[in-house]
Amino acid sequence: MEKALEAKVEPEVILGWIEKIGGDSSSTVPLLQAVQSEYGYLPREAMDLIIQNSDITGSQAYGVATFYSQFRLKPVGRHIIRICHGTACHVSGADRLKTSLRHILNISDEEQDTAENGSYTIEEVACIGCCSQAPVMVVSEDVLGNLSGAAAQRALKKHARQNDEIVTNIL
Amino acid sequence: MDADNLNVIVGEGTCGIAAGSKEVIDAFRKYDPEINIRTVGCVGMCHQEVITEINDNNGNRFLYGQVTKQVVPKIIRYHMGEGNLPKDHLIFSPEEQSSDKWQYLGNQTRIALRNVGLMDPASISDYQQRDGYKAIKKVIEDMTPEQVIGEVEASHLRGRGGAGFPTHLKWNFARQSEGDIKYLICNGDEGDPGAFMDRSLLEGDPHNIIEGMLIAAYAIGSSMGYAYIRAEYPLAVKNFGKAIADAHEQNILGKNILGSDFSFDIKIKEGAGAFVCGEETALIASIEGERGMPRFKPPFPAIKGLFGKPTIINNVETLANLPWIISNGGAAYAAYGTEDSKGTKVFALAGAIKKGGLVEVPMGTKIRDVLESIGGGSSSGKPLKAVQLGGPSGGCIPEKLFDTTIEYAAINATGAIMGSGGMIVMDETTCMVDLARYFLSFTQQESCGKCTFCRIGTLRMKELLTKICDGNAVMGDLDALDELTEQIKKASLCGLGQTAPNPVATTLKYFRNEYEAHIKDKRCPAAVCKSLITHTIIPDTCTGCSLCDIQCPVDAITGQKKVKGSYSIDQAKCINCGMCFEVCNSKAIVVE
Repeated sequence: MEKALEAKVEPEVILGWIEKIGGDSSSTVPLLQAVQSEYGYLPREAMDLIIQNSDITGSQAYGVATFYSQFRLKPVGRHIIRICHGTACHVSGADRLKTSLRHILNISDEEQDTAENGSYTIEEVACIGCCSQAPVMVVSEDVLGNLSGAAAQRALKKHARQNDEIVTNIL
Repeated sequence: MDADNLNVIVGEGTCGIAAGSKEVIDAFRKYDPEINIRTVGCVGMCHQEVITEINDNNGNRFLYGQVTKQVVPKIIRYHMGEGNLPKDHLIFSPEEQSSDKWQYLGNQTRIALRNVGLMDPASISDYQQRDGYKAIKKVIEDMTPEQVIGEVEASHLRGRGGAGFPTHLKWNFARQSEGDIKYLICNGDEGDPGAFMDRSLLEGDPHNIIEGMLIAAYAIGSSMGYAYIRAEYPLAVKNFGKAIADAHEQNILGKNILGSDFSFDIKIKEGAGAFVCGEETALIASIEGERGMPRFKPPFPAIKGLFGKPTIINNVETLANLPWIISNGGAAYAAYGTEDSKGTKVFALAGAIKKGGLVEVPMGTKIRDVLESIGGGSSSGKPLKAVQLGGPSGGCIPEKLFDTTIEYAAINATGAIMGSGGMIVMDETTCMVDLARYFLSFTQQESCGKCTFCRIGTLRMKELLTKICDGNAVMGDLDALDELTEQIKKASLCGLGQTAPNPVATTLKYFRNEYEAHIKDKRCPAAVCKSLITHTIIPDTCTGCSLCDIQCPVDAITGQKKVKGSYSIDQAKCINCGMCFEVCNSKAIVVE
């Protein structure tokens, strides 16, 4: 999940996927999933290439991309933090995880979810199904449970150290 | 004896991973790089994670719970004859089979969950050793599709995804409808926040689901299946994919299965994050590559479904019961349960409960028995207030109704629904208004937008609830909530909209006093709603440790380090996030 902020789209990669996955309308979701797993989001150039080189129309591509919460049209940080907002996590303090992590990543603008240095993006996700370990977050691929706000900060700092990232508000 | 003689089995479902299974495995490897470690799915004792089983070379099984890297050396030393038994962590051993911890499983009746946590999900031979794929063999060799449907009819199995429609009826429609190809879809889009049995089954016992799909496909005459699995469940996608490939190798999937003229194949479709796709027609639209929006029924999918062909959609848990029903007979399944609801149901128990995890009990069990005999009661010691059943489509059942039996009609009578089986337990620290707002925000966000009342009505309800939580509401707003509840239920096409007001309706019915406290007294009884609470520091208790100051994200706390009682909170800056409360070791911060 280590992606640079602005993705450089190579047309042959996209065309390769259309070839492999298919260019009919039922391939829309898997195609967009492939693009997003490569770039971390759906870059405009990639969307254009899909629309021009398959049977998928612009309205369908963007219709699907904006309907499903998994898809992002904005670039993301090099790592993604997913904070679970299932019921169990909600009643046991998922909000506090968000506040504490936004704090040490120095994200204060409410519209923003990515740290300014491009290190981490914080996402809220629907239930990831670890309700008995609530509250839960996923940093890159690591699922972490039973967190307090402070424990979430410690986990993030550890992840940052291991991945040569700088967490701005080191305490 | 050296550690090479030990077989170590570590539970590695997503919940095991969340609790730190990787560290535990590393700790075993650190001790002995050659040690024999296998991983299994989640047994559903989530409160005991990380769970580790040791098989010694005498064939004895020892099960340990809450294992951390610090406990690993103790376990190894004991099994090498060098130390004492780490009793605190022992769940089960040849000598200890009646511990409290073990009773968690002992008090359950496991049919759908019969294999999870007891076998390696990546091993088809593990599944076969546990009588796996015998049911489909029996079906292919000895039964007609009508007989299979008859057996399921005898079991009285109803769809476990939430709606509870009799499985055999659905199959009959598809069996009878004409089509050159029929599709079978496994609905693994477990979107209810708070339910995780489908995840556990797909991760921990994927072959069971494949066998269930094979049985269903044979019954309706389908040759092509899809497993629609949520994108949030990467491990389920991985394990299920491996299981499909392994089944192919043994000709259990593919053309002419086990030498018969029955052919069936399964493709995985990953969901992309839309709750509404749990609805059948929305799920079909999603597989077809469209926005996942429900359409009007009829025609039902059994007549005209995926790509216009007859299609059956069965939930993961429903499918998980099928091999057992075929092997043991429908009557054996129907022997469990009540007149109204037969068999067993899996619940995902979480929240303010001592022993959370997956619980499978016969229908007709009282809610109280699930919470107390299996769940061990309140985790905080504070009295339990309610359980939330059925997620965003369900409702809250108050403590005074905990003697309600778990069966479709009785649960519906409370205003909640059985749903897919999420059971979130709440004590007095949960604000019911905040909870209702949480669910309404969820459904409002997930509404596909097709029906006006669902699209706008849920937004209005969310706004009203926010007003109440912020202490800005008037009593008339409660009437407006009642009115919207009726309108949204009546004017929505699919289950999402029809049930969206349920969390509000049930909390208003049973916890009206909490709503009134917010409106009339501007007070949140559970001290949750941020606009109605304050955080203050008691100077006499404050040790001056400065932790709260360090943690405060808005610099609202000032004081002098190491000077007792010097810290105070600037209420104008404070956002009531609760970080200071959480880190204060001397309990010097009060929330009111």
